[in-house]
Amino acid sequence: MTSGRARLFGMTLTAVLMVAARLAAHHEILAKFDDHKPVALNGIVTLVDWRNPHVHVFVNVPAAAGVVNWAIELEGPIDLQRSGWSRDSLRPGDRIHVEGIAARNGSHQAWGNSVVLRATGKSVYAMTLAPPAPPLEQRPTPRWPDRQPHLGASQGGSQGYWAFPSVTALAEGNSAGKIAVPMDTWGLLRNIADAPKVAPMQPWALQLYRERQKRFLRDDPMYLNCKPPGGPRQFQLAYGVQFVEDRDRRRIFVLMGSGNNNYRIINTDGRGHAGQVGGDDDNPLYYGRAVGKWEGDTLVVDTRGFNEDFWFTNGGLPHTDQLRLLERFTRTDFDTLKYDVTVEDAGAYTRPWSSSSTLRWVAGEEMPRHLCQDNRS
Amino acid sequence: METVLRKTRRRAGTFVLALSIAASLAGVPVAAQEGHPLKGSWIGTWGPNRNQGNDLLVVLNWDGKNITGTINPGTDNIPVKNATLQPEGWVVRFEADAKDKAGKPITYVLEGKLGNLPLPNRTLTGTWKNQEESGVFKLARQ
Repeated sequence: MTSGRARLFGMTLTAVLMVAARLAAHHEILAKFDDHKPVALNGIVTLVDWRNPHVHVFVNVPAAAGVVNWAIELEGPIDLQRSGWSRDSLRPGDRIHVEGIAARNGSHQAWGNSVVLRATGKSVYAMTLAPPAPPLEQRPTPRWPDRQPHLGASQGGSQGYWAFPSVTALAEGNSAGKIAVPMDTWGLLRNIADAPKVAPMQPWALQLYRERQKRFLRDDPMYLNCKPPGGPRQFQLAYGVQFVEDRDRRRIFVLMGSGNNNYRIINTDGRGHAGQVGGDDDNPLYYGRAVGKWEGDTLVVDTRGFNEDFWFTNGGLPHTDQLRLLERFTRTDFDTLKYDVTVEDAGAYTRPWSSSSTLRWVAGEEMPRHLCQDNRS
Repeated sequence: METVLRKTRRRAGTFVLALSIAASLAGVPVAAQEGHPLKGSWIGTWGPNRNQGNDLLVVLNWDGKNITGTINPGTDNIPVKNATLQPEGWVVRFEADAKDKAGKPITYVLEGKLGNLPLPNRTLTGTWKNQEESGVFKLARQ
């Protein structure tokens, strides 16, 4: 590898690791917990509730009025298992020390930033998720016999899926190595004053976006009602996506690892945007109607006909049924998928705007199976 | 011993169940409309005060530039005109031209505020007036 390429690779890896370290599966933690209310607890484990979407450890903590049973919320079973933990990593009777942040509603619940076994000083249920180790050398884009790039696993090759997005929320000007507006993994702005910089929103959309942000994204329909992650959001979530290319019928399935485990179809057979473009009550279009065509090594997808019942990106940018997405998928090498999207929605934005990100190939693994449960994310 | 979380979950479960039953009985979906806040069908009452009221249906749409729609007090659809939404405070104002029982032209002016914006039971409440009368209205988005 040349030194320039190595430097670029190193920078990309650093950026990916920075995002990956903060990747989490479920709701915005700050929607429920207050990072200005730190708690430190010593107590005895009474139960490990190892269930989707979040694991809870219940701890009896001595208090003035006797004993208080605290619920310590942790990441989901999938993430903890992938970090090497199981339901038996803690057992009832274990004495632990917990540090975290308390629930906003004043109940005896806390988000656990660290859990330590007091007998041994060993940290448990710590997240160590990271993207797969990079190959020593950049591998070429896999191709079909007609030289068209594979978007999914190649025939005879190992299985895999795309995950570890470089950017986890849309903002105008985002690119693989640049986050245009500082925000957390769920799209919560570091500074609410940055709201107008995120996208060229109409006044009503900007005000609605601000209010969603001020409520810490707690009204997100994907978590409250298991609404699908339509639009670019499908490429922003923790459990990734998988492309299944049905070349016989000239269509591509995009399977979601997150959300409610459903899929989107991109038709590449030359059809137009048939049907009732706006969708209707009997046929709600969370993923719109997508038609794609190859331009060189890039799959260009034009999607219209979305309903208004979901958030199309982490962070809660509004949209209307006038939303049209122009997406470009380019597998720049074996391990990298570049995703560019232009958002057109005259109902919510003053002009079209664009954002870019990359996804990382996770080789040799099945996509995690996350099941959404209403109002429990 | 029942934990705080279990209690919370049980209460939440009871609440969700009650909400679901109420929603199914009312025939309305329990899902927020996430697009333009005014878009949709609004049903409620209007009258001289909060204790008296007649049914009112308002249907509003948003084309990216203008709020359009109709207002129907039970007789016929009357087009809405000069509709505005002020995002700061979510203040809504619109007018509708109609005729009174004697056939005399009157213009209704409705001014109100959106409430419960992130929730399925979004509301629009405020006051109305014409050249002769005034009162209050309360609408809920269906």
